[in-house]
Amino acid sequence: MAAPCVEPAKGGFSFENCGRNDRFKEMGLKFPTAYKTGTTIAGVIFKDGVVLGADTRATEDTVVADKNCAKIHYMADNIYCCGAGTAADTEMTTQMISADLELHRLNTGRVPRVCTANRLLKQMLFRYQGYIGAALVLGGVDVTGPSLYSIWPHGSTDKLPFVTMGSGSLAAMAMFEDRFKPNMSREEAMKLVRDGIAAGIFNDLGSGSNVDLCVITKDKVEYIRPHEIANQKGVKQGSYIYKKGTTAVLSSQVKKIDIEVVATEVKPQPMDTQ
Amino acid sequence: MMSVPNMMSNPLSDYQAPNQVSFSPYEFNGGTILAVAGEDYALIATDTRLSQGFSIHSRDSPKTYPLSNGSVLGCCGFHGDVLTLTKVLGARLQIFEKEHNKPMPTPSVAAMLSTILYYRRFFPYYTHNIVAGLDEEGKGCVYSFDPVGSYEREVFRAKGSASAMLQPLLDNQIGGKNQQSYKVVPIPLKKCVSMVKDVFTSAAERDIYTGDNILISIITKDGVKSEQFPLRRD
Amino acid sequence: MFLTRSEYDRGVNTFSPEGRLFQVEYAIEAIKLGSTAIGIQTSEGVVLAVEKRVTSPLIEAASIEKIMEVDKHIACAMSGLIADSKTLIDRARVEAQNHWFTYNEKMNIESVTQAVSNLALQFGDDDRDPGAMSRPFGVALLFAGVDEKGPRLFHMDPSGTFIQYDGKAIGSGSEGAQQALQEVYHKSMTLKEACRSALTILKQVMEEKLNSTNVEMCTVTPGSLFRMFTKDELENIIKDL
Repeated sequence: MAAPCVEPAKGGFSFENCGRNDRFKEMGLKFPTAYKTGTTIAGVIFKDGVVLGADTRATEDTVVADKNCAKIHYMADNIYCCGAGTAADTEMTTQMISADLELHRLNTGRVPRVCTANRLLKQMLFRYQGYIGAALVLGGVDVTGPSLYSIWPHGSTDKLPFVTMGSGSLAAMAMFEDRFKPNMSREEAMKLVRDGIAAGIFNDLGSGSNVDLCVITKDKVEYIRPHEIANQKGVKQGSYIYKKGTTAVLSSQVKKIDIEVVATEVKPQPMDTQ
Repeated sequence: MMSVPNMMSNPLSDYQAPNQVSFSPYEFNGGTILAVAGEDYALIATDTRLSQGFSIHSRDSPKTYPLSNGSVLGCCGFHGDVLTLTKVLGARLQIFEKEHNKPMPTPSVAAMLSTILYYRRFFPYYTHNIVAGLDEEGKGCVYSFDPVGSYEREVFRAKGSASAMLQPLLDNQIGGKNQQSYKVVPIPLKKCVSMVKDVFTSAAERDIYTGDNILISIITKDGVKSEQFPLRRD
Repeated sequence: MFLTRSEYDRGVNTFSPEGRLFQVEYAIEAIKLGSTAIGIQTSEGVVLAVEKRVTSPLIEAASIEKIMEVDKHIACAMSGLIADSKTLIDRARVEAQNHWFTYNEKMNIESVTQAVSNLALQFGDDDRDPGAMSRPFGVALLFAGVDEKGPRLFHMDPSGTFIQYDGKAIGSGSEGAQQALQEVYHKSMTLKEACRSALTILKQVMEEKLNSTNVEMCTVTPGSLFRMFTKDELENIIKDL
């Protein structure tokens, strides 16, 4: 068997312990759960570009693991991608495809297109048959103008003018279905995405904390984090400062360190100018 | 030679595997309760969120139930069982009051609740319970229960979805655990109320099933007084 | 009463045109054949004293039991058909234990009496309920005990009626004994006085000569709860009567 961790990974996943772990599972071992971003993510196309939005809660089962995590990921200078699902999967997938897009840009000398990012993402997700639990909202502006995609963990994609994803997608989609119209102004679009995400934050327990927005236009990207602190943290009523000496000292020991002083005389030396 | 169908090679060919039917009548509806016994009062607090999965059913559903004898029951877990159990308890209290011409003392409520829970030992009420009130000497008393009726009188106790977050804080702040030279004294009401608000505020930060509001009920010899306090709503 | 006898005293659940249940009334009459039992309630506790009819020198007197412990804090004296009391005492004991089990507190004397009286009218002459009794109980009970309301004495008759008393006598000598009780009873009576009075009255109404073998006496007090008097203790009181 290969010695683990000696050589750096050559790329791809290691499936080394799958068989062993299956047997452990049969014997009743409980495996650690991955962080999920229960999440509300969404995007709309407006007159001049795309607005992406996300909440900032990450959960581990029923406990909030991160109260202010970033779910809008950088893909390229003109493309961003919101991620829902297993936190590690959304993080790594967007980073890998981001690297591919950069290589593509260097090889072709062109600004990458959103449809390219979409292809790379769906092909990778399809290859792993849904085991990479990433549900994405991909948006950006390229030579063809603004475009917006939703990408599912199994690799299917939709190209639509407004999309939502994550456990709060129904709450957000309710807002979009009610109020979306084509060719909105930037302010209108931002307000709509904000309201969609806020609907998820308040009505979906998997989503919470703040609203992040990312507005992508032809030659400008504005990543606004936080766009709005939807929930103010509660203010403490009392003080919980401990008196000095509250922590018990069980034992103490003072050890003297013998220092050996070595004196060295430094004589001035002429500089070597040869 | 005639070929005879060989029954021996597959004697169980017509055997069908037993059908297992699954039955899962329980649901978890979240919510947290917390009770503290003081010198001459008992305090019991609850959040007001009722949820299921990732959805909120209600933002105004406190899980404390005032009983006819002046004590208060905190009851959370599966809301269907909560509704039934509180109804049964209410009826039993009425019967007792009529039969014995007196309100049921809080320690007796606790004993009776234990028998009601244990009666369902093999199909339990999926509820976490705390009874708070005054004992026969007028001192604050808190009884906590497991779903099948094991119970114990305690000074402070948290139950429900965020109980694992609240209890250690109470152990430290009221019980004086891990605090050297801390003298354990009954906690004054005012300090207790502010601490209860703080622990719930903290729990709402991290537990998705705790939020919206807290309802604090304070039981003294003069009756039950209640106050509300807002929590985050996300 | 016996002059108006008619067919109406056949069925145990049949009212006469005058509105009487003869079988229940006869059952109450049956008590008057029983040995005398006396109960006195004082502020210090309650005393019960009963006569035992030792009709033959061959009877083992100690085997006649007419005072029973219902719970640590409740005693019961009886007169009439003693065999019938078995069912009632059993019920009283079960109710008291069940109350303690369910509520973790002592059952009130009144509640015990109420629970037992619920049994008294559960008789009938049809066969629908095979467990039910076919006739009324022929026994009267005196429940004595201490609870949160203090010392308490209750009397219950075969009709299930129960009333609290300061002093009550049942059985064959009850008329005379009740009269004597009224004369001797006062609110500030001590328990010691009450014990003495109970035996004095028993002595007056008993046909046989009272001694330590043909009476039983017990007290129920907040301090020692149910306590039977020993033969020696009885003799100590009897010798000064």
